[in-house]
Amino acid sequence: MVGRVRAAFEDFGDMLFFAGEVGAWALRPPFRLELLLAQMAAIGVGSTFIVAVTGVFTGMVLALQMNYALHQFSAEGFVGGSVALTLVRELSPVLTALMVTGRSGSAIATELGTMRVTEQIDAMETMAVSPIQYLVVPRVVASIIMFPLLTMLFSAIGWAGGYLMGVYVAQIPPGPFIEHTRTMVEIKDLMSGIYKGLAFGVLVSIVSTYRGFRASGGATGVGEGTTRAVVMSSIGILVVNYAITLITVGI
Amino acid sequence: MIEVRDLWKSFGANQVLKGITLDITRGTTFVVLGGSGSGKTVLMKHVIGLLKPDRGTVRVDGLEISALEGRALTEARQVFGMVFQSAALFDSMTIFENVAFPLREKQRSIRSAELRERVIEKLRVVDLGEEVLQRWPSELSGGMRKRVALARALIGNPKVVLYDEPTTGLDPITTAYVDEMILNAKERLGITSMVISHDIASAFKVADRLAVLYDGQIAAQGTPDEVRRSQDPFVKKFLSTWFEKQ
Repeated sequence: MVGRVRAAFEDFGDMLFFAGEVGAWALRPPFRLELLLAQMAAIGVGSTFIVAVTGVFTGMVLALQMNYALHQFSAEGFVGGSVALTLVRELSPVLTALMVTGRSGSAIATELGTMRVTEQIDAMETMAVSPIQYLVVPRVVASIIMFPLLTMLFSAIGWAGGYLMGVYVAQIPPGPFIEHTRTMVEIKDLMSGIYKGLAFGVLVSIVSTYRGFRASGGATGVGEGTTRAVVMSSIGILVVNYAITLITVGI
Repeated sequence: MIEVRDLWKSFGANQVLKGITLDITRGTTFVVLGGSGSGKTVLMKHVIGLLKPDRGTVRVDGLEISALEGRALTEARQVFGMVFQSAALFDSMTIFENVAFPLREKQRSIRSAELRERVIEKLRVVDLGEEVLQRWPSELSGGMRKRVALARALIGNPKVVLYDEPTTGLDPITTAYVDEMILNAKERLGITSMVISHDIASAFKVADRLAVLYDGQIAAQGTPDEVRRSQDPFVKKFLSTWFEKQ
Protein backbone atom coordinates (compact mmCIF):
# COMPACT_ATOMS: atom_id res chain seq x y z
CA MET A 1 0.00 0.00 0.00
CA VAL A 2 2.73 2.46 1.06
CA GLY A 3 4.69 1.43 -2.02
CA ARG A 4 1.76 2.13 -4.31
CA VAL A 5 1.08 5.55 -2.81
CA ARG A 6 4.73 6.36 -3.15
CA ALA A 7 4.78 5.21 -6.77
CA ALA A 8 1.73 7.35 -7.50
CA PHE A 9 3.43 10.43 -6.05
CA GLU A 10 6.61 9.71 -8.00
CA ASP A 11 4.57 9.33 -11.15
CA PHE A 12 2.81 12.63 -10.52
CA GLY A 13 6.10 14.39 -9.88
CA ASP A 14 7.54 12.94 -13.05
CA MET A 15 4.51 14.25 -14.95
CA LEU A 16 4.96 17.75 -13.54
CA PHE A 17 8.60 17.64 -14.58
CA PHE A 18 7.48 16.51 -18.04
CA ALA A 19 5.01 19.42 -18.20
CA GLY A 20 7.83 21.81 -17.31
CA GLU A 21 9.95 20.42 -20.14
CA VAL A 22 7.05 20.82 -22.56
CA GLY A 23 6.70 24.45 -21.49
CA ALA A 24 10.41 25.10 -21.99
CA TRP A 25 10.47 23.47 -25.44
CA ALA A 26 7.34 25.34 -26.52
CA LEU A 27 9.17 28.66 -26.19
CA ARG A 28 12.25 27.56 -28.09
CA PRO A 29 12.59 27.82 -31.89
CA PRO A 30 12.07 26.31 -34.39
CA PHE A 31 8.30 26.82 -34.22
CA ARG A 32 6.62 24.25 -36.39
CA LEU A 33 3.43 25.90 -37.56
CA GLU A 34 2.51 23.13 -39.98
CA LEU A 35 2.57 20.53 -37.19
CA LEU A 36 0.48 22.79 -34.94
CA LEU A 37 -2.12 23.32 -37.68
CA ALA A 38 -2.29 19.58 -38.34
CA GLN A 39 -2.95 18.92 -34.64
CA MET A 40 -5.51 21.73 -34.44
CA ALA A 41 -7.32 20.04 -37.31
CA ALA A 42 -7.12 16.61 -35.68
CA ILE A 43 -8.02 17.62 -32.13
CA GLY A 44 -10.28 20.60 -32.87
CA VAL A 45 -11.93 20.34 -36.26
CA GLY A 46 -12.07 16.56 -35.97
CA SER A 47 -14.01 16.84 -32.71
CA THR A 48 -16.66 19.32 -33.90
CA PHE A 49 -19.16 16.64 -34.86
CA ILE A 50 -19.07 14.79 -31.54
CA VAL A 51 -19.10 18.08 -29.61
CA ALA A 52 -22.05 19.36 -31.66
CA VAL A 53 -24.06 16.17 -31.16
CA THR A 54 -23.36 16.10 -27.41
CA GLY A 55 -24.13 19.82 -27.20
CA VAL A 56 -27.47 19.73 -28.99
CA PHE A 57 -28.78 16.80 -26.94
CA THR A 58 -27.55 18.29 -23.68
CA GLY A 59 -29.22 21.61 -24.49
CA MET A 60 -32.48 19.93 -25.48
CA VAL A 61 -32.67 17.77 -22.36
CA LEU A 62 -31.69 20.71 -20.17
CA ALA A 63 -34.47 22.91 -21.64
CA LEU A 64 -37.10 20.22 -21.08
CA GLN A 65 -35.96 19.63 -17.49
CA MET A 66 -35.73 23.35 -16.70
CA ASN A 67 -39.18 23.86 -18.18
CA TYR A 68 -40.51 21.02 -16.02
CA ALA A 69 -39.03 22.58 -12.88
CA LEU A 70 -39.71 26.27 -13.58
CA HIS A 71 -43.25 25.54 -14.80
CA GLN A 72 -44.16 24.82 -11.18
CA PHE A 73 -43.42 28.47 -10.35
CA SER A 74 -44.89 29.74 -13.64
CA ALA A 75 -41.38 30.96 -14.45
CA GLU A 76 -40.93 29.28 -17.88
CA GLY A 77 -39.55 32.53 -19.26
CA PHE A 78 -36.34 31.88 -17.36
CA VAL A 79 -35.66 28.59 -19.16
CA GLY A 80 -33.45 30.22 -21.80
CA GLY A 81 -31.30 32.00 -19.23
CA SER A 82 -31.01 28.98 -16.98
CA VAL A 83 -30.00 26.72 -19.86
CA ALA A 84 -27.40 29.21 -21.06
CA LEU A 85 -25.96 29.76 -17.60
CA THR A 86 -25.74 26.03 -16.81
CA LEU A 87 -24.10 25.41 -20.17
CA VAL A 88 -21.48 28.14 -20.24
CA ARG A 89 -20.43 27.80 -16.60
CA GLU A 90 -20.46 24.05 -16.08
CA LEU A 91 -21.71 21.61 -18.66
CA SER A 92 -20.00 22.88 -21.80
CA PRO A 93 -16.44 22.87 -20.49
CA VAL A 94 -16.83 19.58 -18.60
CA LEU A 95 -18.72 17.59 -21.23
CA THR A 96 -16.58 18.96 -24.07
CA ALA A 97 -13.43 17.99 -22.21
CA LEU A 98 -14.76 14.51 -21.44
CA MET A 99 -15.82 13.90 -25.05
CA VAL A 100 -12.53 15.19 -26.48
CA THR A 101 -10.61 13.08 -23.97
CA GLY A 102 -12.40 10.00 -25.24
CA ARG A 103 -11.79 10.91 -28.84
CA SER A 104 -8.45 12.74 -29.01
CA GLY A 105 -6.79 12.07 -25.64
CA SER A 106 -6.94 8.34 -26.27
CA ALA A 107 -5.68 8.82 -29.83
CA ILE A 108 -2.74 10.91 -28.63
CA ALA A 109 -1.75 8.39 -25.95
CA THR A 110 -1.99 5.47 -28.39
CA GLU A 111 -0.05 7.20 -31.14
CA LEU A 112 2.80 8.35 -28.93
CA GLY A 113 2.79 5.04 -27.02
CA THR A 114 3.17 3.10 -30.26
CA MET A 115 5.96 5.39 -31.39
CA ARG A 116 7.68 4.84 -28.05
CA VAL A 117 7.55 1.04 -28.04
CA THR A 118 8.59 0.79 -31.71
CA GLU A 119 11.64 2.98 -30.92
CA GLN A 120 10.47 5.81 -33.20
CA ILE A 121 10.83 8.31 -30.36
CA ASP A 122 14.37 7.08 -29.57
CA ALA A 123 15.19 7.30 -33.27
CA MET A 124 14.05 10.92 -33.37
CA GLU A 125 16.22 11.72 -30.37
CA THR A 126 19.30 10.23 -32.02
CA MET A 127 18.63 12.50 -35.04
CA ALA A 128 19.14 15.53 -32.81
CA VAL A 129 15.42 16.37 -32.92
CA SER A 130 13.65 16.77 -29.59
CA PRO A 131 10.62 14.46 -29.58
CA ILE A 132 9.05 16.69 -26.95
CA GLN A 133 9.28 19.67 -29.24
CA TYR A 134 8.32 17.79 -32.39
CA LEU A 135 5.57 15.52 -31.05
CA VAL A 136 4.33 16.81 -27.70
CA VAL A 137 4.39 20.61 -28.04
CA PRO A 138 2.09 20.80 -31.11
CA ARG A 139 -0.46 18.52 -29.41
CA VAL A 140 -0.43 20.49 -26.17
CA VAL A 141 -0.60 23.91 -27.84
CA ALA A 142 -3.35 22.73 -30.22
CA SER A 143 -5.37 21.47 -27.24
CA ILE A 144 -4.94 24.75 -25.35
CA ILE A 145 -6.26 26.64 -28.40
CA MET A 146 -9.01 24.23 -29.38
CA PHE A 147 -10.56 23.25 -26.02
CA PRO A 148 -11.97 26.75 -25.32
CA LEU A 149 -13.21 27.05 -28.91
CA LEU A 150 -14.94 23.67 -28.71
CA THR A 151 -16.42 24.72 -25.35
CA MET A 152 -17.91 27.83 -26.98
CA LEU A 153 -19.24 25.72 -29.84
CA PHE A 154 -20.84 23.35 -27.33
CA SER A 155 -22.53 26.28 -25.55
CA ALA A 156 -23.82 27.82 -28.77
CA ILE A 157 -25.23 24.59 -30.17
CA GLY A 158 -26.54 23.54 -26.76
CA TRP A 159 -28.40 26.82 -26.36
CA ALA A 160 -29.82 26.44 -29.88
CA GLY A 161 -31.04 22.96 -28.94
CA GLY A 162 -32.59 24.45 -25.80
CA TYR A 163 -34.30 27.12 -27.91
CA LEU A 164 -35.75 24.45 -30.19
CA MET A 165 -37.24 22.51 -27.30
CA GLY A 166 -38.25 25.55 -25.25
CA VAL A 167 -39.88 27.57 -28.00
CA TYR A 168 -41.24 24.92 -30.35
CA VAL A 169 -42.01 22.04 -27.98
CA ALA A 170 -42.70 23.69 -24.61
CA GLN A 171 -44.31 26.72 -26.30
CA ILE A 172 -42.33 29.32 -24.35
CA PRO A 173 -42.56 32.70 -26.11
CA PRO A 174 -39.24 33.45 -27.86
CA GLY A 175 -39.10 37.01 -26.48
CA PRO A 176 -38.56 36.20 -22.78
CA PHE A 177 -36.47 33.15 -23.71
CA ILE A 178 -33.91 35.35 -25.47
CA GLU A 179 -34.26 38.38 -23.19
CA HIS A 180 -33.62 36.41 -19.99
CA THR A 181 -30.61 34.75 -21.63
CA ARG A 182 -29.20 38.24 -22.28
CA THR A 183 -29.77 39.51 -18.77
CA MET A 184 -28.74 36.39 -16.86
CA VAL A 185 -25.50 35.53 -18.69
CA GLU A 186 -22.68 38.00 -18.16
CA ILE A 187 -19.21 38.20 -19.65
CA LYS A 188 -17.71 36.78 -16.45
CA ASP A 189 -19.86 33.65 -16.87
CA LEU A 190 -18.62 33.19 -20.42
CA MET A 191 -15.05 33.74 -19.29
CA SER A 192 -15.37 31.22 -16.47
CA GLY A 193 -16.26 28.55 -19.06
CA ILE A 194 -13.38 29.58 -21.29
CA TYR A 195 -10.89 29.45 -18.40
CA LYS A 196 -12.10 25.97 -17.62
CA GLY A 197 -11.66 25.03 -21.27
CA LEU A 198 -8.08 26.31 -21.14
CA ALA A 199 -7.33 24.40 -17.94
CA PHE A 200 -8.82 21.17 -19.33
CA GLY A 201 -6.86 21.62 -22.56
CA VAL A 202 -3.61 21.71 -20.59
CA LEU A 203 -4.66 18.85 -18.32
CA VAL A 204 -5.88 16.41 -20.98
CA SER A 205 -3.02 17.05 -23.42
CA ILE A 206 -0.29 16.79 -20.78
CA VAL A 207 -1.74 13.62 -19.24
CA SER A 208 -2.28 11.97 -22.64
CA THR A 209 1.10 12.83 -24.11
CA TYR A 210 2.83 11.88 -20.85
CA ARG A 211 1.12 8.48 -20.77
CA GLY A 212 2.05 7.85 -24.38
CA PHE A 213 5.61 9.05 -23.88
CA ARG A 214 6.18 6.80 -20.88
CA ALA A 215 4.54 3.70 -22.38
CA SER A 216 6.64 0.54 -22.30
CA GLY A 217 6.40 -3.13 -23.08
CA GLY A 218 4.63 -3.58 -26.40
CA ALA A 219 0.94 -3.60 -27.27
CA THR A 220 -0.21 -4.27 -23.70
CA GLY A 221 1.83 -1.35 -22.42
CA VAL A 222 0.36 1.00 -25.03
CA GLY A 223 -3.18 -0.14 -24.14
CA GLU A 224 -2.51 0.31 -20.45
CA GLY A 225 -1.08 3.77 -21.06
CA THR A 226 -4.16 4.78 -23.05
CA THR A 227 -6.52 3.50 -20.35
CA ARG A 228 -4.63 5.41 -17.69
CA ALA A 229 -4.59 8.54 -19.85
CA VAL A 230 -8.38 8.48 -20.24
CA VAL A 231 -9.08 7.61 -16.58
CA MET A 232 -6.63 10.19 -15.20
CA SER A 233 -7.87 12.90 -17.57
CA SER A 234 -11.53 12.25 -16.76
CA ILE A 235 -11.02 12.28 -13.00
CA GLY A 236 -8.73 15.28 -13.35
CA ILE A 237 -11.40 17.19 -15.31
CA LEU A 238 -14.00 16.63 -12.56
CA VAL A 239 -11.63 17.55 -9.74
CA VAL A 240 -10.22 20.65 -11.46
CA ASN A 241 -13.74 21.73 -12.43
CA TYR A 242 -14.82 21.53 -8.81
CA ALA A 243 -11.77 23.54 -7.73
CA ILE A 244 -12.34 26.29 -10.31
CA THR A 245 -16.05 26.52 -9.48
CA LEU A 246 -15.24 26.77 -5.80
CA ILE A 247 -12.80 29.60 -6.45
CA THR A 248 -14.99 31.54 -8.88
CA VAL A 249 -18.37 31.10 -7.15
CA GLY A 250 -17.18 30.92 -3.56
CA ILE A 251 -19.01 29.13 -0.81
CA MET B 1 37.39 7.67 -32.62
CA ILE B 2 35.33 6.23 -29.75
CA GLU B 3 36.92 5.62 -26.35
CA VAL B 4 34.95 4.00 -23.56
CA ARG B 5 36.72 4.04 -20.19
CA ASP B 6 35.70 2.04 -17.12
CA LEU B 7 31.95 2.42 -17.69
CA TRP B 8 29.61 1.46 -14.84
CA LYS B 9 25.83 1.59 -14.86
CA SER B 10 23.10 0.18 -12.65
CA PHE B 11 19.32 0.34 -12.75
CA GLY B 12 18.07 0.08 -9.18
CA ALA B 13 19.79 -2.92 -7.65
CA ASN B 14 20.65 -4.33 -11.04
CA GLN B 15 24.30 -3.70 -11.97
CA VAL B 16 24.23 -3.82 -15.77
CA LEU B 17 27.68 -2.55 -16.79
CA LYS B 18 30.71 -3.36 -14.64
CA GLY B 19 33.70 -1.47 -15.90
CA ILE B 20 33.67 -1.56 -19.70
CA THR B 21 36.75 -0.28 -21.52
CA LEU B 22 37.08 -0.37 -25.29
CA ASP B 23 38.40 1.60 -28.27
CA ILE B 24 36.94 1.88 -31.73
CA THR B 25 39.36 3.03 -34.44
CA ARG B 26 38.26 5.37 -37.21
CA GLY B 27 36.97 3.64 -40.33
CA THR B 28 36.58 0.20 -38.76
CA THR B 29 33.66 -1.93 -37.74
CA PHE B 30 33.48 -2.94 -34.10
CA VAL B 31 31.03 -5.62 -33.03
CA VAL B 32 29.83 -6.09 -29.46
CA LEU B 33 28.64 -9.67 -29.10
CA GLY B 34 26.61 -10.90 -26.18
CA GLY B 35 23.55 -12.79 -25.08
CA SER B 36 20.29 -11.27 -23.97
CA GLY B 37 20.67 -9.15 -20.85
CA SER B 38 24.44 -8.89 -21.18
CA GLY B 39 24.18 -5.09 -21.24
CA LYS B 40 25.12 -4.51 -24.86
CA THR B 41 22.18 -2.24 -25.70
CA VAL B 42 22.80 -0.24 -22.54
CA LEU B 43 26.41 0.16 -23.65
CA MET B 44 25.32 1.48 -27.05
CA LYS B 45 22.89 3.93 -25.48
CA HIS B 46 25.79 5.36 -23.48
CA VAL B 47 27.84 5.85 -26.62
CA ILE B 48 25.14 8.06 -28.18
CA GLY B 49 24.33 9.76 -24.89
CA LEU B 50 20.80 8.40 -24.39
CA LEU B 51 21.94 7.16 -20.97
CA LYS B 52 24.32 8.67 -18.42
CA PRO B 53 26.93 6.44 -16.75
CA ASP B 54 27.23 6.08 -12.97
CA ARG B 55 30.98 6.10 -13.41
CA GLY B 56 33.42 6.23 -16.31
CA THR B 57 33.54 8.19 -19.55
CA VAL B 58 32.67 7.93 -23.23
CA ARG B 59 34.64 10.11 -25.63
CA VAL B 60 33.87 10.51 -29.31
CA ASP B 61 36.54 12.33 -31.32
CA GLY B 62 37.96 13.59 -28.05
CA LEU B 63 34.62 15.06 -26.91
CA GLU B 64 33.27 13.66 -23.67
CA ILE B 65 29.72 12.67 -24.65
CA SER B 66 28.94 11.30 -21.21
CA ALA B 67 29.36 14.76 -19.64
CA LEU B 68 27.19 16.70 -22.12
CA GLU B 69 23.63 17.89 -21.59
CA GLY B 70 20.92 19.65 -23.56
CA ARG B 71 21.93 21.54 -26.67
CA ALA B 72 25.59 20.52 -26.54
CA LEU B 73 24.55 16.87 -26.48
CA THR B 74 22.11 17.42 -29.35
CA GLU B 75 24.91 18.93 -31.39
CA ALA B 76 27.40 16.22 -30.49
CA ARG B 77 24.90 13.60 -31.68
CA GLN B 78 25.19 14.88 -35.22
CA VAL B 79 28.30 12.73 -35.73
CA PHE B 80 26.07 9.67 -35.27
CA GLY B 81 23.60 7.79 -37.36
CA MET B 82 21.73 4.96 -35.69
CA VAL B 83 19.98 1.95 -37.18
CA PHE B 84 17.47 0.48 -34.74
CA GLN B 85 16.62 -3.17 -34.27
CA SER B 86 13.08 -2.63 -35.52
CA ALA B 87 14.29 -0.10 -38.14
CA ALA B 88 12.10 2.45 -36.26
CA LEU B 89 10.92 4.16 -39.44
CA PHE B 90 8.24 6.80 -38.81
CA ASP B 91 5.14 4.95 -39.91
CA SER B 92 3.16 8.13 -40.53
CA MET B 93 5.65 9.25 -43.18
CA THR B 94 6.55 7.98 -46.65
CA ILE B 95 10.01 6.56 -47.37
CA PHE B 96 11.06 9.88 -48.87
CA GLU B 97 9.91 11.83 -45.80
CA ASN B 98 11.61 9.31 -43.51
CA VAL B 99 15.00 9.58 -45.17
CA ALA B 100 14.67 13.35 -45.61
CA PHE B 101 13.60 13.94 -41.99
CA PRO B 102 17.01 14.35 -40.25
CA LEU B 103 18.33 16.63 -43.01
CA ARG B 104 15.19 18.72 -43.20
CA GLU B 105 15.30 19.24 -39.44
CA LYS B 106 18.99 20.13 -39.49
CA GLN B 107 18.85 22.54 -42.42
CA ARG B 108 15.36 23.95 -42.38
CA SER B 109 15.97 26.19 -45.38
CA ILE B 110 17.16 23.38 -47.68
CA ARG B 111 15.74 23.54 -51.21
CA SER B 112 13.41 20.67 -52.08
CA ALA B 113 15.35 19.76 -55.24
CA GLU B 114 18.55 19.40 -53.24
CA LEU B 115 16.76 17.43 -50.55
CA ARG B 116 15.38 15.02 -53.11
CA GLU B 117 18.80 14.61 -54.69
CA ARG B 118 20.41 13.80 -51.34
CA VAL B 119 17.67 11.30 -50.47
CA ILE B 120 18.03 9.49 -53.80
CA GLU B 121 21.83 9.49 -53.42
CA LYS B 122 21.62 7.80 -49.99
CA LEU B 123 19.02 5.30 -51.14
CA ARG B 124 21.41 4.38 -53.94
CA VAL B 125 24.14 3.64 -51.37
CA VAL B 126 21.85 0.99 -49.88
CA ASP B 127 20.81 -0.26 -53.36
CA LEU B 128 17.29 1.12 -53.36
CA GLY B 129 15.79 2.95 -56.32
CA GLU B 130 13.44 5.90 -56.72
CA GLU B 131 10.40 3.62 -56.92
CA VAL B 132 10.32 3.30 -53.11
CA LEU B 133 10.16 7.05 -52.46
CA GLN B 134 6.40 7.37 -52.20
CA ARG B 135 5.78 4.04 -50.49
CA TRP B 136 4.99 3.59 -46.79
CA PRO B 137 7.17 1.69 -44.31
CA SER B 138 4.42 -0.91 -43.81
CA GLU B 139 4.59 -1.81 -47.53
CA LEU B 140 8.27 -2.82 -47.41
CA SER B 141 9.90 -6.10 -46.39
CA GLY B 142 11.99 -6.30 -43.21
CA GLY B 143 15.26 -6.20 -45.14
CA MET B 144 14.17 -3.18 -47.18
CA ARG B 145 13.08 -1.35 -44.04
CA LYS B 146 16.55 -1.93 -42.56
CA ARG B 147 18.11 -0.46 -45.67
CA VAL B 148 15.85 2.58 -45.56
CA ALA B 149 16.80 2.96 -41.90
CA LEU B 150 20.48 2.95 -42.89
CA ALA B 151 19.84 5.50 -45.65
CA ARG B 152 18.11 7.69 -43.07
CA ALA B 153 21.06 7.25 -40.69
CA LEU B 154 23.50 8.20 -43.48
CA ILE B 155 21.74 11.30 -44.77
CA GLY B 156 23.40 13.67 -42.32
CA ASN B 157 26.82 12.32 -43.39
CA PRO B 158 27.60 10.87 -39.96
CA LYS B 159 31.11 9.77 -38.97
CA VAL B 160 29.81 6.89 -36.88
CA VAL B 161 26.90 4.54 -37.52
CA LEU B 162 25.50 2.46 -34.65
CA TYR B 163 23.59 -0.71 -35.46
CA ASP B 164 21.35 -2.21 -32.79
CA GLU B 165 20.88 -5.94 -33.50
CA PRO B 166 20.72 -5.42 -37.26
CA THR B 167 20.12 -9.08 -38.13
CA THR B 168 17.83 -10.17 -35.29
CA GLY B 169 14.64 -11.78 -36.53
CA LEU B 170 15.66 -11.84 -40.19
CA ASP B 171 15.83 -14.92 -42.43
CA PRO B 172 19.32 -16.13 -43.56
CA ILE B 173 19.15 -14.49 -47.00
CA THR B 174 18.07 -11.13 -45.61
CA THR B 175 20.75 -11.47 -42.91
CA ALA B 176 23.41 -11.92 -45.59
CA TYR B 177 21.99 -8.87 -47.33
CA VAL B 178 22.20 -6.74 -44.18
CA ASP B 179 25.80 -7.91 -43.60
CA GLU B 180 26.64 -6.79 -47.13
CA MET B 181 24.94 -3.49 -46.43
CA ILE B 182 27.13 -2.88 -43.37
CA LEU B 183 30.32 -3.81 -45.25
CA ASN B 184 29.31 -1.61 -48.18
CA ALA B 185 28.65 1.41 -46.00
CA LYS B 186 32.15 1.05 -44.57
CA GLU B 187 33.83 0.62 -47.94
CA ARG B 188 31.92 3.24 -49.89
CA LEU B 189 31.76 5.94 -47.24
CA GLY B 190 34.64 5.08 -44.88
CA ILE B 191 32.28 5.06 -41.93
CA THR B 192 33.14 3.91 -38.43
CA SER B 193 30.57 1.39 -37.25
CA MET B 194 29.57 -0.09 -33.92
CA VAL B 195 27.36 -3.16 -34.18
CA ILE B 196 25.48 -4.72 -31.27
CA SER B 197 24.58 -8.32 -31.99
CA HIS B 198 24.08 -11.84 -30.73
CA ASP B 199 24.36 -13.25 -34.23
CA ILE B 200 27.83 -14.86 -34.18
CA ALA B 201 28.05 -15.67 -37.91
CA SER B 202 27.13 -12.15 -38.89
CA ALA B 203 29.49 -10.67 -36.28
CA PHE B 204 32.52 -12.57 -37.57
CA LYS B 205 31.65 -11.57 -41.12
CA VAL B 206 31.47 -7.81 -40.61
CA ALA B 207 33.84 -7.18 -37.69
CA ASP B 208 37.33 -5.73 -37.86
CA ARG B 209 37.45 -6.06 -34.11
CA LEU B 210 34.97 -7.46 -31.65
CA ALA B 211 34.25 -7.75 -27.98
CA VAL B 212 32.25 -10.43 -26.19
CA LEU B 213 30.15 -9.06 -23.35
CA TYR B 214 29.10 -11.26 -20.47
CA ASP B 215 27.34 -10.13 -17.31
CA GLY B 216 28.30 -6.48 -17.81
CA GLN B 217 31.98 -7.20 -18.40
CA ILE B 218 34.13 -7.79 -21.46
CA ALA B 219 35.05 -11.47 -21.55
CA ALA B 220 37.23 -11.18 -24.66
CA GLN B 221 38.25 -8.43 -27.04
CA GLY B 222 40.34 -8.33 -30.22
CA THR B 223 40.35 -9.26 -33.88
CA PRO B 224 37.97 -12.07 -34.90
CA ASP B 225 40.90 -14.53 -34.83
CA GLU B 226 42.00 -13.48 -31.37
CA VAL B 227 38.48 -13.79 -29.98
CA ARG B 228 38.09 -17.21 -31.63
CA ARG B 229 41.20 -18.43 -29.74
CA SER B 230 40.12 -16.93 -26.42
CA GLN B 231 40.43 -19.26 -23.43
CA ASP B 232 37.68 -17.53 -21.44
CA PRO B 233 35.15 -20.24 -20.48
CA PHE B 234 32.08 -18.14 -21.35
CA VAL B 235 33.49 -17.10 -24.71
CA LYS B 236 34.36 -20.73 -25.55
CA LYS B 237 30.86 -21.82 -24.63
CA PHE B 238 29.19 -18.92 -26.44
CA LEU B 239 31.14 -19.52 -29.65
CA SER B 240 31.06 -23.33 -29.54
CA THR B 241 27.37 -23.47 -30.45
CA TRP B 242 28.23 -21.80 -33.71
CA PHE B 243 31.53 -23.56 -34.44
CA GLU B 244 29.83 -26.93 -34.08
CA LYS B 245 27.51 -25.98 -36.91
CA GLN B 246 30.43 -25.11 -39.20
